Amino acid sequence: MSANEESLVVAKDLGKRYGDFVALHPLNVKVSSGEFFGVFGPNGAGKSTFIKLLTGQLRPSIGAVEVLGIDAAKDPQKLKANIGIVPESESPPSYLTPSEFLQFVGKLRGIDDLDNKVEHWMDWFGLQEKSDTMCKDLSKGQRQKVMLASAFIHEPRLLFLDEPFANLDPIYQRKCRQWLLDMVAGGGTIFLCSHVLEMAERMCNRMAIINNGKVLAAGTVKGLKESESETLEDVFIRLVGHSIQEAERLSDEGVNEEE
Amino acid sequence: MSASITSRDWSEVTDQSLPESLGSGGGGIHLHNPLVGWKAFSATFKVMFVEEFRENLDFAKKRRILLFPLLVALVTMIATIGLQFLVGEGAAQGADSLSDSKSFSWGDMRIALHLPLLLFSLGMGSFAFLGREKVLARTGTKNYILASPALQPLTNPTAHFAYYMKDLSYYVMLILTPVITGMGVGILLESFTNVSTPLEFSSLPRTWIAMVVTLAQGLAFSFIASSLWLLGGWVSRITPLAVIGLGTTIGLGIIPREYFLWGLATQQPDGILLAVPALAISVLLAWIASQLILDDFEVKVVSKKEIFLPAWNRLGFLGNGPLRLLVAKEAVDLVRSGSLKKMTVSYSVPLVVLLLMAWLVDFAEAPIPINLLSYAPFLGFFGFNFYSWLTALDSPEHMNGLPLSVPQLIRAKVTVYFLATTWISVIFLCLMAWKLDEWAVLPVGLIVMIANSIYIVCLTAFLMGLAPNKAIFDAKIMTWFWIGTVIPLLSLFLLSFTQGDVSFYENWADQVGDRGLQAEAVDFDNAQMAAGFKGILWVSVGLVGASIILMKLLDRKWGRAEFNN
Repeated sequence: MSANEESLVVAKDLGKRYGDFVALHPLNVKVSSGEFFGVFGPNGAGKSTFIKLLTGQLRPSIGAVEVLGIDAAKDPQKLKANIGIVPESESPPSYLTPSEFLQFVGKLRGIDDLDNKVEHWMDWFGLQEKSDTMCKDLSKGQRQKVMLASAFIHEPRLLFLDEPFANLDPIYQRKCRQWLLDMVAGGGTIFLCSHVLEMAERMCNRMAIINNGKVLAAGTVKGLKESESETLEDVFIRLVGHSIQEAERLSDEGVNEEE
Repeated sequence: MSASITSRDWSEVTDQSLPESLGSGGGGIHLHNPLVGWKAFSATFKVMFVEEFRENLDFAKKRRILLFPLLVALVTMIATIGLQFLVGEGAAQGADSLSDSKSFSWGDMRIALHLPLLLFSLGMGSFAFLGREKVLARTGTKNYILASPALQPLTNPTAHFAYYMKDLSYYVMLILTPVITGMGVGILLESFTNVSTPLEFSSLPRTWIAMVVTLAQGLAFSFIASSLWLLGGWVSRITPLAVIGLGTTIGLGIIPREYFLWGLATQQPDGILLAVPALAISVLLAWIASQLILDDFEVKVVSKKEIFLPAWNRLGFLGNGPLRLLVAKEAVDLVRSGSLKKMTVSYSVPLVVLLLMAWLVDFAEAPIPINLLSYAPFLGFFGFNFYSWLTALDSPEHMNGLPLSVPQLIRAKVTVYFLATTWISVIFLCLMAWKLDEWAVLPVGLIVMIANSIYIVCLTAFLMGLAPNKAIFDAKIMTWFWIGTVIPLLSLFLLSFTQGDVSFYENWADQVGDRGLQAEAVDFDNAQMAAGFKGILWVSVGLVGASIILMKLLDRKWGRAEFNN
């Protein structure tokens, strides 16, 4: 197997539950180098839990996950040093400036030529004017840019993005999209979670739709469509809507039985 | 090869055995090694220090932050000059000197220096709890470096150990060093004026080192206690057992108190070398405490039964306005955050200390005519702590979009404070009345305590708004706080001396029984007592009036402020 064909992300029976509540049913995943893989689902489907398990932020209740040959549960520190993570709602530390935060995360990863890299990414994201402003005083979009820069600064070959463009303006959305596509074209790998289906059509090689912690369907964007005329939104509603109706039906049955 | 993903139902997984390796690889990528050990600690410590300074600076202006150490130094300088009136050596110099046995010894003074410092550091050092709170709140509007291990290649133990060292350095720099500087200036004044102090320059380095030892020890003890508690199970029981065991052995005199107060031991003659092992053990304890913290970033999803509406229903006496709603919301926060127990304990600890002090002063037959009315104002003084906790329970930013104002929220917090703590203070005052056998003065004591309690919290709320924790390093606010609290507190304290012998009340009670309306106290200076009594009541009424005015002025001071803590 060549390096390009090697799976960078492998999970076996990876699941998470909190007491009786199952956040993610056991999953088997393989993602290879050079892929832009998207996981889509409605709010609360389990997407963020999935990404947190893959990146060592959460310990699995069952199964195992290995990323870049590193066991995510056993050595999360080494894993985090070698991947980029953009969380859905986390902000950079409030009382540091963007450049201080980038210096901090760069040092933790032992990056060479850090000053130039910080300057480059500050410039790339148009944050130079805000270099002396504390992160708490930045707008949501600017804070998101800082988080993106902190994930890009060590130029990882594997990125995990959770709703990465939620607060970005259209100009930077386009700029980031292009950078990510170039990265994948250059052999990089991206694992994306979102509910914005447009991103799947524009960027993903392959995608999965999940709901209630379970994969409902997976494949290429084209492959998931039943006909040429069907949009991805139609696919999503067909799969997730059915899943919701099914859940409601089961719930009603449960209530009726109790009654 | 293309990506694949499949899932199955939980119940379908019967074989849970996993291979040694799942077969993933780096795809030819050169893997970085994360920073570890000293380098990781050093990088984290530096940014944490900057963060701490900025957070304080954010609330107060730079000038005020720099003035805070000056204020501490000034207060210490005054205390240094006043030392001669407290310790035997100085008192003996005066013409109407008290005998050495009736004044405080140097040993007492050293304990008075180290015990409060230890209590302060014990209160500030529960870093394991703090870290957990920061991790849970990291998706909110504020994020801290202490929560960084969740995303960055940094371990929780390294981040927490760096936090301990940062806090230790910060307090040494901003509090202990100005204290020593103030003492130095106080001694220096001796050369230029005719004031004198029994302190000497040569004792200052030793005192500074001893205070650093106490601070380091307190923070470390509290840190390891919180780490053990978070581990859960039988390990979490070690903390309360150790506290009870240690308290009992020291209380019974089985082990000398110097064994527990390492800073005190360091300050003894020939004790300076103890500072080295004491500091080393403190840092080692803190390091062990940090190693006990797991890399756990789980945010548990917990379902709770509805308590907001039941709380709101019970608060009918507050009317139907926003105050009732906000008080109900604060009550829910208090219960759901699990802080009620912690806050009650933290409010009660200083009261226990005060109770012990009352017992000690009574036992030692101190020359000052301290009585129940002397303690009553101090019971209210600890409201500052509780109010600070209340403001830190939840981030109020979400209220910026609601038809509410900051003064309304402040008033709600003051109301919650009053509802949640008054009963504790009442119990403690009753305990003191019992201990000092001064039941007759209890009703007046209750009036003084309640008036003072309301006033201190209203003053805190007025001056510091929703961020009292940041305001403690603001020299301007602390000066006003100092003036606003010391003057009424001191006047009540001094007026209480006029009621030195509570037989006045007992006599009155006896005589009312015997002589009805003709009753009058005998054998005492009735005029002085009556004047003092009126004075106490007038000051108390004045404090209640001042509280009402402060609450009215909230709109002017905080009316346009945004919700932010």
